Amino acid sequence: MKKRTDLWKMVSMVMLSAVLVAGCSKGESASETAPASVLKDGKYDPPFTITIAKQQDENAGKYINGETLNDNVLTRWGEENLGIKIQTTLLGGDASQYNTKLRLALTGSEKLPDVLPVYDTMLVNDLIDSGQVKEITEDISAYMPDRIKEIYKQYPTTFNPVVREGKVYGMAIAPNLTEGEVMLIRQDWLDKLNLKAPTTIEEFEQVIAAFTNEDPDGNGKKDTYGFTFSGKDSYNTGWVSDPVMIFSAYTGKHLPRQWYNENGKLTYGSVADGNKEALAKLRDWYAKGYLNKELATQGAWDALSDFTEGKAGIIIGRPWLYDSVKDVEKNVDGAKISAYPTIQGVNGDKTYQSAQLNDGVFMFNKDFQNMEAFFLYYDKMYDAAFSTGDFKYGYAQGYDYDIVNDEVTFDPTKFNTPLEAVQGVGKMAFTKNTPSVDGPGQSFYDLANGVEADTGVLIQSASKDQTTQDGYRISYENRDVLLPNEFNGPPTPTMQNVWEQLTTMEQETFTKIIYGNEPLEAFDTFVKQWHEKGGDTVIEEVNDWYNQASETDVMTLMNLK
Amino acid sequence: MYHKTTGYRVFSYFNYAFMILAGLACFLPLLHLLAQSLSSKAAISGNMVSFWPVGFNVDAYIKTFNNSNFNGAMLTSIIRTVLGTTISMFILTCAGYALSKEFRGRNVLMWFFIFTMLFSGGLIPSYILITALGLKDTIWALVLPGAFGAYNLILLVNFFKTIPKALEEAAFIDGASFFVILSKIYLPLSLPGIATVSLFIMVGHWNSWFDGILYMSDASKYPLASFLQTVVVQSNMQNMAMSQSEVAAMSEQSIKAAQIFVSTLPIILVYPFLQRYFVKGIVLGAVKE
Repeated sequence: MKKRTDLWKMVSMVMLSAVLVAGCSKGESASETAPASVLKDGKYDPPFTITIAKQQDENAGKYINGETLNDNVLTRWGEENLGIKIQTTLLGGDASQYNTKLRLALTGSEKLPDVLPVYDTMLVNDLIDSGQVKEITEDISAYMPDRIKEIYKQYPTTFNPVVREGKVYGMAIAPNLTEGEVMLIRQDWLDKLNLKAPTTIEEFEQVIAAFTNEDPDGNGKKDTYGFTFSGKDSYNTGWVSDPVMIFSAYTGKHLPRQWYNENGKLTYGSVADGNKEALAKLRDWYAKGYLNKELATQGAWDALSDFTEGKAGIIIGRPWLYDSVKDVEKNVDGAKISAYPTIQGVNGDKTYQSAQLNDGVFMFNKDFQNMEAFFLYYDKMYDAAFSTGDFKYGYAQGYDYDIVNDEVTFDPTKFNTPLEAVQGVGKMAFTKNTPSVDGPGQSFYDLANGVEADTGVLIQSASKDQTTQDGYRISYENRDVLLPNEFNGPPTPTMQNVWEQLTTMEQETFTKIIYGNEPLEAFDTFVKQWHEKGGDTVIEEVNDWYNQASETDVMTLMNLK
Repeated sequence: MYHKTTGYRVFSYFNYAFMILAGLACFLPLLHLLAQSLSSKAAISGNMVSFWPVGFNVDAYIKTFNNSNFNGAMLTSIIRTVLGTTISMFILTCAGYALSKEFRGRNVLMWFFIFTMLFSGGLIPSYILITALGLKDTIWALVLPGAFGAYNLILLVNFFKTIPKALEEAAFIDGASFFVILSKIYLPLSLPGIATVSLFIMVGHWNSWFDGILYMSDASKYPLASFLQTVVVQSNMQNMAMSQSEVAAMSEQSIKAAQIFVSTLPIILVYPFLQRYFVKGIVLGAVKE
């Protein structure tokens, strides 16, 4: 018996000490205090650390040369040149995991990082409520460099989600109007059938009818169709496989799933008049086989595979979509894709699309005292967008650009050490997307108008495929059709209760009408029910939020007027 | 003879057909994955690959094994599985052996453990606990929290109970201690049970991804399953719509397929060697004394 108790004692001691050792070593490093750093000639001495949170999905596993999250070409650059060490102390995979980790950090179990990129409006709201994030109205006014102030001045609505009672608790991450959508068409099919690219809804119908019935691929089988898009999550995907053009043809600026400011009042697009005519059109086309048969089950990313396979003739998306579908030119002999602007509406006006102004907001730990250091670093991140300073071509030679035979190249296969894809070095810092000031594609527009490619941004744009360049030029020429969602605040109280049911009802009704499972009149019933089942209250609350957000002139307070 | 009747034959044909279908349902996805991993990017994005590679190449595997993060994650997973299984089995056999005996308070203890099967603190308390213990960012955060699983304990206790008491008494008479009895008599005799429980724990460790993402704040410390989760799951893609160059890389389905395939291989290889213990290994109180 004696022996047994000894053994247990020993085992439990071993386990306990393992835990304690792990605990102590961690505890010491966390409680270490940074020595006071001084800014001298644009560099901090001794170097100090900014801790950040990061949602890292698409970058995971893509560091080269054995680099890691906290030790890579960009973090080393920051340490050497600015005396600022960027360290990730909170890392999440996809959006939901990242949000979970931020919420867990809010429980106070650990120190919140200094810089918090937040991508969820509800979480933004909760962070402000928690009192753990910093009010930065003064800091922006005092420390934001002028060229960045110019950018933020253009996008005042991006501050709406972070304003509370006239105080600003965050700022948009690298605001910039996204590129617009273009129509990618199989040019070889158009040529073969002697058709022109459609500009109106009637012409569009003729083209997709011909693509479906007149055997454009010439294999003697009826295995092609006109238009592929996704209706799985929403009839306004906002980026690729988007059918929103058809809706906008009838509803104008009232886009499905989006809020639009009509004479000072926010309205919801899915219940606007005109949706019914759009649905009638889609229903007719679906019955005739012009559309993707599985449109309601295919996500945006899946809906393009029919196009890449050579079965569908038209797809709509951001200009870079060409990169993702150009494999059809490899898979099918003679295939050729061209980019065209989206069609006109039935009243001769343009069709509209949703656009993004920013991807999330920066928030800061309330104990973070070095906003000027953050802005110093942030300003450097913008060097690549302005083609200035250390980053005038890109962030790091051999990563996202290279100089071969005195020529700057952005083609990763031509690098001195060839890569399979360029490295998103700008994303290794605290922004998920590299800052840009190119808007919906100004550099491409300039190039098309004969401007010489002499800056990093222009050279990079000039290195893209011709079809992609055309797409961006079209996007820039039609930048007036881009409508950012006017409601970018947290879900309102009623929204939290009923919004999911309302959007589900919307999606089901739209899909059933298009599939022909319910009569067209189902749309009227839907609109009536939508208003009755909470929609009216939501409209009220959304407008209250909007008025509250634009009540105080925070732009003047931040010296951004 | 009952198996000569038409009814029996129909039933047995149906059985075969059903088993073949069930088998295919498990096997075909893997085959599809293998075909994708060996196909060209163009063919995959055109949805042209089913069960046979189109545009055969092994680039995806070369890239996978040249990726230091993948290899690092693989190593982390192996260490985690070996360490986690060892710790778990040590605790479980010790506890299981003790609890298979009659002693005062045994039932109370047993219920104490079973209680944890039914109720847990939930995500937030667990996270706070792990953080407060300073286990975050260490491998211990992955192996310690789940080390003592009540379900596995019950399996082992039931298995130990089937071993005749007389064996133990005989050993006592020969002067063996409890520990010697456990290691020299109980463990060899209950190999099927040990193997089964070990396999459960191993597979659990190998496949578990959420804790890796939760407790690690450096992606280079992710185990393989967490790493794959971040690579394979196309999360909120609309958010990345602003970036252009990275989008092309998203369609690198062949690399993803290769990584998934490589990561499932170890378990597929281990399984046949442990499978033969399964039938005997799982005895959840089927025989009552």
